[in-house]
Amino acid sequence: MSPNRLRTAEERLQRLLVMLPWLMEVGEAPLAEVARRFDMTEADVEKNLELVAMCGLPPFVDEMIDVFVDEGIVYVGVPRLFTRPLRLTSPEAFALLAAGRAAMELPGADRGGPLGRGLVRLEAALDQVGLETSDVTAGVVFDLDRPPLSDDLVELTAQGAEATISYYSPDRDELTTRIIVPRHVFVDGGRWYVVADDARSGARRTFRIDRIEQLSPTGRRVPIEEYVAAPTGFFVDADVPRAVLRLAPAAQWIAEEYPVDSVRPLDDPAGWVEVRLPVTSERWLSRLLIRLGPAAVPVEPSTATDEAASLARRMLAGYD
Amino acid sequence: MADRVERLTNLLALLLETTEPLSLVEIAGALDGQYPATDVARRQAFERDKQALRELGVPIDTEILAGGPYAGQTRYRIDRDKYELTDLDLEPDEMHALQVAVAAVRTGSGTGRSAIWKLGGALDDEQPPVSAHVPDRPELPVIRAAVASRSTIAFGYRGSERHLDPWGLLLRGGFWYVAGFDRDRGEERTFRVDRFDGGASSIVVGPPGEFERPADFDPRSAFPADPKQIGQSPDEAIEATVRIDAGRAAAAVRELGDDRVLHRHDDGSIDVRVPADNIDAFRSWVLGLLEHAVVVDPPELRASIVAWLTAVAAAGSETGR
Repeated sequence: MSPNRLRTAEERLQRLLVMLPWLMEVGEAPLAEVARRFDMTEADVEKNLELVAMCGLPPFVDEMIDVFVDEGIVYVGVPRLFTRPLRLTSPEAFALLAAGRAAMELPGADRGGPLGRGLVRLEAALDQVGLETSDVTAGVVFDLDRPPLSDDLVELTAQGAEATISYYSPDRDELTTRIIVPRHVFVDGGRWYVVADDARSGARRTFRIDRIEQLSPTGRRVPIEEYVAAPTGFFVDADVPRAVLRLAPAAQWIAEEYPVDSVRPLDDPAGWVEVRLPVTSERWLSRLLIRLGPAAVPVEPSTATDEAASLARRMLAGYD
Repeated sequence: MADRVERLTNLLALLLETTEPLSLVEIAGALDGQYPATDVARRQAFERDKQALRELGVPIDTEILAGGPYAGQTRYRIDRDKYELTDLDLEPDEMHALQVAVAAVRTGSGTGRSAIWKLGGALDDEQPPVSAHVPDRPELPVIRAAVASRSTIAFGYRGSERHLDPWGLLLRGGFWYVAGFDRDRGEERTFRVDRFDGGASSIVVGPPGEFERPADFDPRSAFPADPKQIGQSPDEAIEATVRIDAGRAAAAVRELGDDRVLHRHDDGSIDVRVPADNIDAFRSWVLGLLEHAVVVDPPELRASIVAWLTAVAAAGSETGR
């Protein structure tokens, strides 16, 4: 991932105020390491350090911040100013508390371990910004309840171990057996997923863990060459066909549950909107329309109403 | 004119170094030539810088002179003790654990990362095998601080003004909720934070110490575990019997738990008991199982599902298949 450019003066100063105390602590560091650590390009690090080196007030003009770059190494002279980082802001303290408490709910968390001790030590910083932590939940609770197989999958991920799974796909209503190498386990929107190298498609796929019916390691280990992170968003391929639906307020939760291209309010006192969304299969769309019932009216594709009606008739057969 | 980063850095250094609070005239004098010469432009530029530093979290103290020849003049300084981060004395393994936590809990903002940098850590080497996507909402620190100070908050929620004694925050199903005592309704209520009208700045936080929070309150208890139970009290609980075919039986048991199974049939299908107090949530769940599930009981619920499906079937132009 290439570093983001720092655009505003505020962003540049903010980065300097964390970089300078660290540099003063270490004394010197390769420019490349500083850039990587603080997610900046080497050119930006150099430019910003040269700038602060020129800062100064009488009687310390030009020598207030004694820092220079030579032959790819950053050197710090006598530390005077900015030797200590700025205190945490309230959002930063909250972010640490929240990350720590959420991480406690992830598979493999050791509550009595270093994370728990670290969070206790954070209390001083939290108190400084008015976020006391006196009760057991610290007022912030993460419900990241997970399917039982999640822990096994995390373990297999760490080992680079291959496994056979049987996987249910509601789009096609079929159970398939696949050989996968789990690479990353994550929770998003309350659902747990595993990113895995899938032998069947020869590609990296994301599977919903609650749809894995069986999991058994094959015993084979695969060397792990690169780190796989969770996908940054659920983007849907542009080739996937789209549907256009008109939705009553009661059905508008789908714009939060599924990726949608657009939501357009209709000129309608009852609050109907028109959404355009990717559809992975006809069956998926039919299932959605059946769940929404009278609260949804399909505009495109023209076959959607008939497809849903046909599936509804098959379902009604179960009630005969 | 100097680069704005240079001016901001100099201003910050000056206010940190000074032993006496400084007036704007003194500041502009010390930062010779870096602020505009005219009074109005200088004041505007300085106000903008002061605001920028405050947004970064820099505590700038102001004092207004009460008497003397400069009575009414505002002076500024930064108290170094308030500026600097309190040393947390984190052990290396504790620092590492916090780094892993921040790397594993993705919020879509850089706030956690900047906190780690301030603590002297970094995230560039962390590669956790498991992660959580947790939405970051600007309202959260404000609400969390109100929980801590026991301050009633006022906010707009779907167009009406609400007053809540906030007891705790809960992340469930990818959304943040605040649970507490609703002063308007006189009962415990839960609100979804992303549905607050107007964002963090429109939350009005009352004075501290306005309420007592139940000891060891856990927001999970304020919130039904199963959305199919939302909206009813336990004594009027409605349960449905649903038959699930062999193909989806195992998955249903995993989802609902063994204790919900009423009967296992020879063909592999099962009958399960499912909460149905929230009819919309129940219907969406059972219909989502498509032809794998049939509502057996109670009769009126079964009839309502049949009526629903009949309406969807009638909308089609085909006749049978």
